[in-house]
Amino acid sequence: MKRVLGNKKAIALFVVPALVLYTILVMVPVIWSLYYSLFNGSPGLNWEFVGFDNYLKLFSDKKFLDALSVNARYISVVTVGQVGLGLLLALMFRFWLRRCKTIVRTLVFFPVVLPTVAVGQLFAKIYEIQPSYGLLNSFLDSVGLSNLVQPWIGQESTALAMLCIMDIWVAMGFYSVIFYGALLDIPEDILEAARIDGAGSFQMFRRILLPLLRPMIITSLVFSFSGTVKMFESALALTNGGPGTATKSLSMYMYDVSFTYNKVGYGSVIAIVIFLICIVGSGVINMFDVKEDKR
Amino acid sequence: MKRRVLAAFLSVAMMASLLVGCGSGSNSGETAKGDAEAQSWQDADYTGEDPQLETKLKFLTIWAEDNDNGILINKICQDYKDNVNPNFEWEYEMVAADNLTQKIATLSASNDLPDVFAYEAGAPLRTLIDADKVADISEVVETIGVEDSLSESAVALMKGLSETDALYDLPLGLNVEGFWYNKELFEKAGCEVPATWDEFEEVLKKLDAAGIQPLVTGGADKWLATRLINAYAVRTMGNDIMTKAANGEADYTDEGLVAAAQKLADWAEAGYFGEGVTTVDANTAGSMVMSGKGAIFYNGSWFTQNLTDPSQNPAGEDGIGFFNIPVVDESISSATSYSMNCGNILALDKAKFNEGTAWFLKYFIENMGNAAMEELGTVKGYTYTTEAESMDSYTKLVLNEIDKATEGFAWWEAKMDAELSKTAQENVQPLLNGDMTAEEYMQSIQDVYDLNK
Repeated sequence: MKRVLGNKKAIALFVVPALVLYTILVMVPVIWSLYYSLFNGSPGLNWEFVGFDNYLKLFSDKKFLDALSVNARYISVVTVGQVGLGLLLALMFRFWLRRCKTIVRTLVFFPVVLPTVAVGQLFAKIYEIQPSYGLLNSFLDSVGLSNLVQPWIGQESTALAMLCIMDIWVAMGFYSVIFYGALLDIPEDILEAARIDGAGSFQMFRRILLPLLRPMIITSLVFSFSGTVKMFESALALTNGGPGTATKSLSMYMYDVSFTYNKVGYGSVIAIVIFLICIVGSGVINMFDVKEDKR
Repeated sequence: MKRRVLAAFLSVAMMASLLVGCGSGSNSGETAKGDAEAQSWQDADYTGEDPQLETKLKFLTIWAEDNDNGILINKICQDYKDNVNPNFEWEYEMVAADNLTQKIATLSASNDLPDVFAYEAGAPLRTLIDADKVADISEVVETIGVEDSLSESAVALMKGLSETDALYDLPLGLNVEGFWYNKELFEKAGCEVPATWDEFEEVLKKLDAAGIQPLVTGGADKWLATRLINAYAVRTMGNDIMTKAANGEADYTDEGLVAAAQKLADWAEAGYFGEGVTTVDANTAGSMVMSGKGAIFYNGSWFTQNLTDPSQNPAGEDGIGFFNIPVVDESISSATSYSMNCGNILALDKAKFNEGTAWFLKYFIENMGNAAMEELGTVKGYTYTTEAESMDSYTKLVLNEIDKATEGFAWWEAKMDAELSKTAQENVQPLLNGDMTAEEYMQSIQDVYDLNK
């Protein structure tokens, strides 16, 4: 095996096909976007070179800054929510739930396989207020909290939060399964030893489980982060970016700019910003891992 | 090392040539070809028999083959092949309405427009006209001699929308817009159909006092809400106010326009639209009026599609009435001016237009009016000679209103480009919710206008 992998030709044989595909599918479009970002208009119709104007425009574009803020709030809430609740669920499966474990696990995982549009429709019905109250509003109404009845996804103050709740609900099952697998990998004797040493539940979590789960948590955070940066389809299905621009993400804005306003150049700049956020964000999360290795 | 440098250099060179190839090059050849063909089709004589030229046309539309205009286009193509030109072939493709502008923009950029395609009148079509991509329909119609088959009002509307002297598109509808109301609810609250704006406001108050939701609108679909601003703006500032604003002769922040936006905000504030207006879509709003949960709904004559379907309309054949936008001042905008449009339109690629297409078009324009009457019982902007056998009451009502119209004006976003229109629609939601004032709303439109001037 070592001889095979020591042979440069063999390495090339394994690596080159994937590398070529990767270059064509990832690197070329990125470079293409960089090239496009220096132009104005849409290719073929009114295409002119403008240098770095598009980049300068970015900082004075209020809509871009709004979308960026929507993305930032969405990412921070949803990433923490998905991974945190996923972890809590996994702990529940492992230590607390004795009976019906499989059924509960299946139920929690179920939303992951649902199509986003269907989930969007489902939650739109739950949050509905007109023509008739949806699940949430009719519940509030029936328990005597009718002053809390409101258009949950129809007002700026609550729309984004409602979207976050939906996306956390969808994905937490996925992370709970990952964490559950990791928890099963932790040998029982370590837990046993900790218990004998007199560790309580919290100490057990803090001193034993958390360090052992660390690599998993970081991987999950990267997963969740890169999934939320591209925030698009769930917002489109639930609120269509509204009301106004309250739930309009960077990718939605990029789509509008490139394909509705026909400003492909400026759209490419926004795409590059999303690309950078992805790289920098994953890098920051991974930094926690590196620190651990050095120690 | 040298080899690596060379390889890098070559790949850069290849990329550059690829990019340059995409950017230009193809344009000049295509135009020349277009000119040559344009010559030939104009020289032909279109008075005699169809020469049965071998013709293959590609259609790109937003209707399924068994729906609305899809039925008509395919029927006419089939009839043309069966009865006139056996050498005619056609290919029918459909895209989602949302993707239409984008798809056409892409195809037009690569000089690959379909022969015939559905498009949006107004600013989007204007872009294609300015880029010299679409055939001059006036010239075609004159050459093939079918002027009489196009409805005059449709032609005037379409020319007005693209602000051109010549016609560049074919109509696929002739719609009026206005207020649809639930007659039973009007009776219950003791309301009469209003003729003036003051009477209209009275009606709203009366309905509200009677515990009836006075208005419904599709705040989730946005365009229905901006239509209401347009209604008041036109009646107080004249039929051409939005054209003036688009041309820079008036500001979007003009007092009158702010007042119109304020009108919508006031209604929302008063609770006339019920709770959560920005979550209600057009279909829900329509069914609310039909089922008596709301009294008045602004929409176009295409709403008859729902009204004539007994499974959707519990109000029945005579349950819903129609009135034009009430008048504020007859001298500014008369009671017989209606908000009218031709729906989505058909445009033809200029480069590929040839004699065979012209012959087909002759048949299409001559027969569209009757086909639309027979198949769908609707008017599409072409003259017709047949009466639909069983025209229902709602279709009659619409035809009656169209007959009354002496002048037409367009919708709120008709003269706005894509970015402006998106802004106008997006921000109408915070306006309805009270998160944005009328001044801020109009200012946001003006800002985008100034940015792209």
